[in-house]
Amino acid sequence: MNLLLDIQEAIEKNDTQNAFYFGDTFYTYKEFAQVISNIRKGIQDHISENDSTVGLITNDDIETYASIIALWLEGKAYVPLNPEFPESRNHTVIKQAEINSILDSSTDKVFDQFKTIQSNTLDIAEINLTPRQIGPNELAYIFFTSGTTGTPKGVPITFGNLSGFIDAFWDLGYEITNKDRCLQMFELTFDLSVMSYLAPILKGACIYTIPKDEIKYSYIFELMEDHELTFALMVPSILHYLRPYFDEINCPAMKFSLFCGEALPLDVTQEWSQCIPNATIANVYGPTECTIFCTDYTYKRDSENKTYNGVLTIGKDMKNTTTIIVDEDNNEVGIGEKGELCLSGAQLTPGYWKNEEKNKEVFFDKEHEGKKVRFYRTGDLCTVDDQGDILYLGRVDFQAKIQGFRVELSEIEFHAKTVLDKKNSVAVAFINSIHNTEIGLVIESTAFDTKQLIEDLKNRLPQYMIPTQIRFIDSFPLNTNGKTDRKKLKEMFN
Amino acid sequence: MESSIIKERVSDVLVSVLEHNNFEMHDELTAKDVDGWDSLSHMMIITEIEEHFNIRFKLRDLNKLKNMGSLISVIQSKI
Repeated sequence: MNLLLDIQEAIEKNDTQNAFYFGDTFYTYKEFAQVISNIRKGIQDHISENDSTVGLITNDDIETYASIIALWLEGKAYVPLNPEFPESRNHTVIKQAEINSILDSSTDKVFDQFKTIQSNTLDIAEINLTPRQIGPNELAYIFFTSGTTGTPKGVPITFGNLSGFIDAFWDLGYEITNKDRCLQMFELTFDLSVMSYLAPILKGACIYTIPKDEIKYSYIFELMEDHELTFALMVPSILHYLRPYFDEINCPAMKFSLFCGEALPLDVTQEWSQCIPNATIANVYGPTECTIFCTDYTYKRDSENKTYNGVLTIGKDMKNTTTIIVDEDNNEVGIGEKGELCLSGAQLTPGYWKNEEKNKEVFFDKEHEGKKVRFYRTGDLCTVDDQGDILYLGRVDFQAKIQGFRVELSEIEFHAKTVLDKKNSVAVAFINSIHNTEIGLVIESTAFDTKQLIEDLKNRLPQYMIPTQIRFIDSFPLNTNGKTDRKKLKEMFN
Repeated sequence: MESSIIKERVSDVLVSVLEHNNFEMHDELTAKDVDGWDSLSHMMIITEIEEHFNIRFKLRDLNKLKNMGSLISVIQSKI
């Protein structure tokens, strides 16, 4: 696999350069190579050749990142497991992904009942970054996202998918060199993290992470200013948090400021552009299923930008992706008409992990430009203009984006119903006063103390899926189709 | 202003934002120890404190707020 040879070459060539900055400690690429090699030896000694997926506890340290590269060099996929997620959810993922072994850099291992390799206690091994023979259809990672029936669904991404992404990303011209200092603000269970560590590694640049106990937005600001970061991929919610302080921010060193994961409003982008006067700002888009992101729009500082409802366009498909917009019968709609955005190409996942039912639902074959092509329905409602720029209009289903995480509202409802002994509830996503998305829960009942409910939900769902506000109603209003009127319920949170 | 008075007023702000008083005010208290004090409510708590004491935190101040003790002393330095 060329991608892995490129990783090897970049690490070896840049051995004196800084690779990572954690908290207050720098690590060079040479040190990184050493830790990778130690863990690789540990994998060879302790994990069966046949185990193609390995769990990875997502700590913020050199061992965790080195584990990813070590697994790849051995041709194994990593499945990130956030130790702060509820144990039951992690167990579901471990079972689903058929994980037998876990790499963990914690002092006290997170899971007692699984075979764990403690990656910070391994012996020094001879440095060896030469990858094994690995084909493009072998898996690089499986990320689990929110699923409708209360069970998370796995999105496997192959080395071929990842190579397709990297090739298309360099084609955008957002150049990174070994002089660059790049932000990695994402939890490793979120696929935007992959771009944020992989692109810098491939160029020998330095990666700056955020310690788990810090407040993200203010810490990002200090990194940007104190370390003169030059490259940053962020979710737009960070801008909403920083907005009251924009007048304190001046970072002329920033060269590329990318946004992904949520709608990017034009007005905030304009104000942000003053804080980073020399940077190219871009809005990129893509679901985990199509490997990190697959469309791109470069913000224009001096001329008009395309928007819909004040939200910047997501631009055009990148080099290795084809997009179409279709109606309910999978027929392409005309320019300016609304429909569901569908994606295909080298970045597209082979399909959900062991979930044929879901695969039949969202993947379909279609004649496109004379060839039979496999497309993925994103669930995103879009329209395309006569210049080929795609405008994001909203969701066609009941998903929400919370701090960039994709959340199936029905998954929250499923767990709320279980906990509430069959009382009905509806989860809605609403925009709060600082323009971030929050989750509200409306319960069909007279009011009661919800402390226990929240406690129970916390045992079942990650923090970002816990409703932040709760309302009660005697009975749910219905719309003209006789369905629960979610729009009306949403208004209860304004 | 004496730190004990500041502490009392900060406690009032916490109660009004978080809608409970299941916490004990001491210098080592951190957000993690208090139910509902997450990144969202943190933002609201900061804004409420700014309004209440008629002060304004700088972005850099926010990173210094490691626990209740440091919050009280940053507030004290601004009034």
